[in-house]
Amino acid sequence: MLAFFTFELRRLVREPRLFIFTIFMPVVSYVVFTGVGDVSGRTEGVSLATAMTVGVAGYGAMIGVLSVGGGVSSERVSGWLRQLRLTPLPPIQVVAVKGLLTTLVAIPSVLAVIVTGRIQHHVTMPIGHWVALVLVLWLGTVPFALLGLAVGYSLPPQIAQPASFITFFTLSILGGLLIPVEVFPRWLQHLSQALPSNRYAELGWRAAAGHLPSAMGGTILAAWTVLFALLAAVAYRRSTATR
Amino acid sequence: MTEAVRLSDVSKSFGPVRAVDGLDLTISAGETVALLGPNGAGKSTAIGMMLGLSRPERGTVELFGTAPDRAVRAGKVGAMLQDSGFVPNATVRELIELARALYPMPLPTGQILHTAGLTGVADRRLDKLSGGEAQRTRFAFALAGDPRLLVLDEPTAAMDVATRQSFWAAMRRYSAAGHTVLFATHYLEEADDFADRVVVIARGRVVADGSGAQIRNLTGGRTVAFDLNGENTAGLDRLPGVRTVEIRGERASLRSDDSDATVAAIVHSGRSFRNLEVSGAGLQDAFLALTASEA
Repeated sequence: MLAFFTFELRRLVREPRLFIFTIFMPVVSYVVFTGVGDVSGRTEGVSLATAMTVGVAGYGAMIGVLSVGGGVSSERVSGWLRQLRLTPLPPIQVVAVKGLLTTLVAIPSVLAVIVTGRIQHHVTMPIGHWVALVLVLWLGTVPFALLGLAVGYSLPPQIAQPASFITFFTLSILGGLLIPVEVFPRWLQHLSQALPSNRYAELGWRAAAGHLPSAMGGTILAAWTVLFALLAAVAYRRSTATR
Repeated sequence: MTEAVRLSDVSKSFGPVRAVDGLDLTISAGETVALLGPNGAGKSTAIGMMLGLSRPERGTVELFGTAPDRAVRAGKVGAMLQDSGFVPNATVRELIELARALYPMPLPTGQILHTAGLTGVADRRLDKLSGGEAQRTRFAFALAGDPRLLVLDEPTAAMDVATRQSFWAAMRRYSAAGHTVLFATHYLEEADDFADRVVVIARGRVVADGSGAQIRNLTGGRTVAFDLNGENTAGLDRLPGVRTVEIRGERASLRSDDSDATVAAIVHSGRSFRNLEVSGAGLQDAFLALTASEA
């Protein structure tokens, strides 16, 4: 299992597109979004600059996680997953390794945006909050990794990639990762707060402010995780129950 | 001898098409068996069930006395399928090292690369391989774990002649070491040259099972053809081995179960002839012959 993890990690690191999506794009988005407006206000219990740092870090993490998860689609179509099924490696381990690697994609995005925030807007917080922030923004990607895998196991590559992107843009914009939820009309705010992306970012905002996750946020995120896990499991079963 | 493979009365349909229809097949450990059949005969479907990738609707499949997926999990099986493939951003060597790590008793890396003829391209990326190299990489991945049973579905499909020869040489070395090998093919020559036993499949059932020579005889053996050169045609049908005689203008075609004896008799008869040619029975004819006797 370790050999498979190493093999897949090496492949992931060699994928140039990944760096564009997970480091270049979030950093540029951050610089542009926080550069054009006034970031001196406060929202979500932290300074606007901090909130934006968390939001864009989460946005970068989400795009990486969803696109890598959706990438399972081409591995399925190329016959790689079938080839692995003919080795002693149990399918559950293949999925577990894939899922773990997918969430790891979040970490470089989060670090890159945090460093940019620190340089551009001198975002500061106690070291413990930084650590907690990185940790929750990493662990909080689990539902998105599962959603990505569900997409990858159920759709062909030509559709999986755009489907991942549409999901990602919808979730990140409506979730208030790029624009604070307060500017939304009230009905949209309610919708936003029911989305996993908003509750994911909330984990980060609260960690930055030194708070534990909210009970409501944790519950909503857990519910989405269960739902996406079920979707992924069904998609996986259907994709392997071959002919 | 222990049994490597046992399929008992196995059936599977896709919609209205019965791909495998009451297939019985037992392979002893150490045998090299060719599964011979035209496209659509049910070879790949049978192999898929044999490897636990799909379940039979009826009948049972066992590898080494256990369920296929258990045998696969135990590292007893290596397989090279038509639709299995690899992923970009890794090299041939990395892929083989992965396969070695997954099996309990792998072969040494150098030996795998050598056997599959990949030593020169070991550090090449998988997405930069030619068709033949990719096919040999599949072979290397399948044999890396030194599995007791190696299953190959149309292994030479994407290979040129030279690659094909080196592939079969590698296969021979592998089976000579006492491994069980099952390969599917639609080339009668490949089955005849490389298998101890040829199992002919048509319409999802076994229609013939025996050595290559036996199968050839069943399918009407070979054709001996020559120009009459002015000689008459009387007695040609009484030559040893001859089943049928066909005369087209100046040329005679004899279908023979024993072409060696037929040719010897022609030579000894002292008759004049030109452009003598012995050719194997066309596979299409062979299948027509075999499946016609089934119906």
